[in-house]
Amino acid sequence: MLRYSLSAILIALSSAAPAQDLTVATWGGAYEAAQQVSVFDPFAADTGQAVNAVQYDGTVAALRAWAGPGEWDVIDMLADQARVACAEGLLLPLDAQTLLGRAALEDFLPHAPGRCSMPQNVYARVLAYDERAFPGVKPTRIEDFFDTARFPGKRAVQRSPDGILEWALLSEGVPPEQVYGLLSTGRGLRLAFRRLDEIRDDILWWSDPAKPAKMLADRRAVMAAGFNGRFFDVAARGEAPVDIVWDGRIIGTEVWAIPATTEKPEAARDFLAFAMRPTSMARFSERIPYGPTRQSAFAQIGLNPTTGVPMRVHLPNAPQHGGRALLRDSAWNANTRDLRQRRFEAWLEQDEEAPGQ
Amino acid sequence: MSVASHRKPARPVIRMIILTATALCVGAAASFAAILFVEMVSHLNSALLVAPRARVQWERLPWLIVLATLLVPTLGGLIVGLLHRYLSPERRPLGPLDVIRSVQFHRTLPDTRSGIVSTLTAILSLGTGASVGQYGPMVYLGALFGSAVHRLRASVPNLDGIAMSCGVAAAIATAFNAPIAGLVFAHEVVLRHYATQAFAPVTVASATGYVIANVIFERPALFLVEFPGVAHGYEFGLFALMGLLVALAAIGFMRLLLACGPWIASLIKHPALRPGLAGLAVGVTALALPDVLGIGTETLRFATIEGAFGQGELLVLILAKITLTALCIGAGFSGGVFSPALLVGSLIGALFWSLVTGAAGIATSGVAVYAIGAMMAFASAVIGAPLTCILIVFELTRNYDITIAAMVAVVFSNLVSHRLFGRSLFDIQLSRKGMDFSKGRDRALLAAIPVRDLLSDKAITMTPEDAPADVDARLTEAGWRQAFALDPDGRLTGVYSTAQGVTPATLTFEDDTNLADAMDRMRGFVGDAVPVVTRDDGRYLGAVSEADIVSAWIDHVARIREEENAAL
Repeated sequence: MLRYSLSAILIALSSAAPAQDLTVATWGGAYEAAQQVSVFDPFAADTGQAVNAVQYDGTVAALRAWAGPGEWDVIDMLADQARVACAEGLLLPLDAQTLLGRAALEDFLPHAPGRCSMPQNVYARVLAYDERAFPGVKPTRIEDFFDTARFPGKRAVQRSPDGILEWALLSEGVPPEQVYGLLSTGRGLRLAFRRLDEIRDDILWWSDPAKPAKMLADRRAVMAAGFNGRFFDVAARGEAPVDIVWDGRIIGTEVWAIPATTEKPEAARDFLAFAMRPTSMARFSERIPYGPTRQSAFAQIGLNPTTGVPMRVHLPNAPQHGGRALLRDSAWNANTRDLRQRRFEAWLEQDEEAPGQ
Repeated sequence: MSVASHRKPARPVIRMIILTATALCVGAAASFAAILFVEMVSHLNSALLVAPRARVQWERLPWLIVLATLLVPTLGGLIVGLLHRYLSPERRPLGPLDVIRSVQFHRTLPDTRSGIVSTLTAILSLGTGASVGQYGPMVYLGALFGSAVHRLRASVPNLDGIAMSCGVAAAIATAFNAPIAGLVFAHEVVLRHYATQAFAPVTVASATGYVIANVIFERPALFLVEFPGVAHGYEFGLFALMGLLVALAAIGFMRLLLACGPWIASLIKHPALRPGLAGLAVGVTALALPDVLGIGTETLRFATIEGAFGQGELLVLILAKITLTALCIGAGFSGGVFSPALLVGSLIGALFWSLVTGAAGIATSGVAVYAIGAMMAFASAVIGAPLTCILIVFELTRNYDITIAAMVAVVFSNLVSHRLFGRSLFDIQLSRKGMDFSKGRDRALLAAIPVRDLLSDKAITMTPEDAPADVDARLTEAGWRQAFALDPDGRLTGVYSTAQGVTPATLTFEDDTNLADAMDRMRGFVGDAVPVVTRDDGRYLGAVSEADIVSAWIDHVARIREEENAAL
């Protein structure tokens, strides 16, 4: 307790001298709040180095534009964005082995550190449904998303080729490890869009990630594709009985990286090493349903401090989830975005030309 | 015969220890090597833009894809050709055929250097997208580790063959993630007997491969398929029919494969250039049909999805894949026939299914079971291993219902191809080299022993100038009843006996007559010995006594029986 108040004083002191703060660019909202309590504050208490969080929109463009010399010291990014930024030389290369030690690297599997980034948490694109819509038989697998006969109703889908094409192939019986290989061929894309044709008239498009959960709550849709954290929120706050189907979850990774423009590379590395500790990860996952990237962190995850909800079961990579899981291939996603977008738009136009087909 | 088999065997405990250690070491080495092999091929495929997953990421540079498609297989072929020409003493790719020959006839494998070059060229061939398979080279690689045991000169009978089979089993167990299939493959194709002495170590090696693949590297099953079961009883009739049809296609494939080598050799004089040109053919075809590139993992999966291909597309792809595989292997790319056979078979299955449901309008339980059944039926006709293929289906798909269905297709295909063509591509290739396994292993082994080796120099010969009285005296002295009459050029003119004078020989062997033939031809023969003459000009080489032939035959049969029934 004494130590905590001491750190509070230290934070207060260091915020008086902001030049000494370690500036961390992150997403804001509940996510940043969780990071604040689970990583930033304990780090400050531990090292005396205060952390100043700033928000950004997560794009490489923002990093390019905003990260002037000494502006940002650490940045929270999506794995594929970090890959692009790393290739452009916007991030400092990291040596995972010296940062964490050789033994710790095994603990990260299957989330390998990148050349400039360290995996910090995982989120998932999942299928969720409104319990009220299916009082009897409930959807249990990704095939059910495409089965409008057994599970009639609207489906909320992101207006983007991300995720839905992977689901289309999974629902054809393609095993997760082959999905990207097959989507890489013209034939695979054609098959995926053929599958999408089957639910064409039942799709409600969304662009704002907050929407799918809201569409379920408002009963506009009975099933939705979206991010697990958002569905968890709606259910946890008691807004609607939304349940997540973990089968077919597409697991993406959020990483820590150090902008090349930092003037405090040593402190930034210390911060990364601290944030990568299983205890830091466990504290974070107790507050928001994003899973730790280290296996050993799972054992330490307990109840959510405010709601008392046991959090392990809500994490996308919790070991107890059965069903299929697809690890998002960030390089593939970054490099094929244009192609998939083009094909997706062509498919959408087809929709507009021949309605009701 | 191997050196070891002539020496006094070691004590049973020692033998057991040596066999177990061999199984563990060879199994582990072969298994790691197989994983390394697969990884290297996969890395090359990604780096050289052969794998679709790599190609699509460069889609914004179409010229790069075109260039890679044309150049990668061509240059790959050129390098393969040059490596074989200048670094390999054997100057050719090595494969299961060499392993079978070496295990069956207790010979050593071709030199290690050729083996290593062949493995490298296989990685290169597969890595650059040639239409060849990966399991053949892996079988050889496994056997190569096994053959190292030969150097130990351990006093365990049949150790060389067992060690090689251990390598083969472990390589297959690892590559397919199918330990039971690896075990059975080694027995069904390589060893061709089930002696406990071999079965136990091969099983241990196979299990070692499985442990390494599953426990250490955690590899998933290669071809997981969801299949709830065969919906209609009559479909088993369809599977049988499909097996028959697939066999015909497989026979065509094998005949083309055998014909392609000599045809290309007559077309392109320089052997080092042949794979390059075959590679170019693959590249040009792949511009229009990217599915033909490489091993075709994606295409194999598509074959199990309804509507992934049109019927015309399937037909074109089947023909292209068959032709290109024959071309690549005939031209000297290093690689096997199994993976292409799997691919072609699955496409034929998809075509069969689409004809059955589309044209004939019969209700079925989906395309997957047909694609997989035909895939294994085709492959089993080619490698002549029905049991292995049935088990591979089981271990690859981990699905019992599909296995039962595939089993029916496999046996019918095997029935037809065995009857019309031969037990397998390997057996036909061996029989063209004078090693005929069609009448069983013992017959082939006995046929490998020339009677020439049993010649006795004690037989009495006479020339026209020799007086019969002298000859009679020599015969009495030697205890023989017959002498062989030769003309001044040394050609056999007849057989002399005191009672009958010179009469034409009732039975002669030629210099290429083997022990198996000799036993057949000696039925009803009366006399001391059979003269052996050269086939071209009838020159007398010597004679083999009836007793020597019979004892050689008894010895060899006993040795085979011992090998096939040895417990330790």
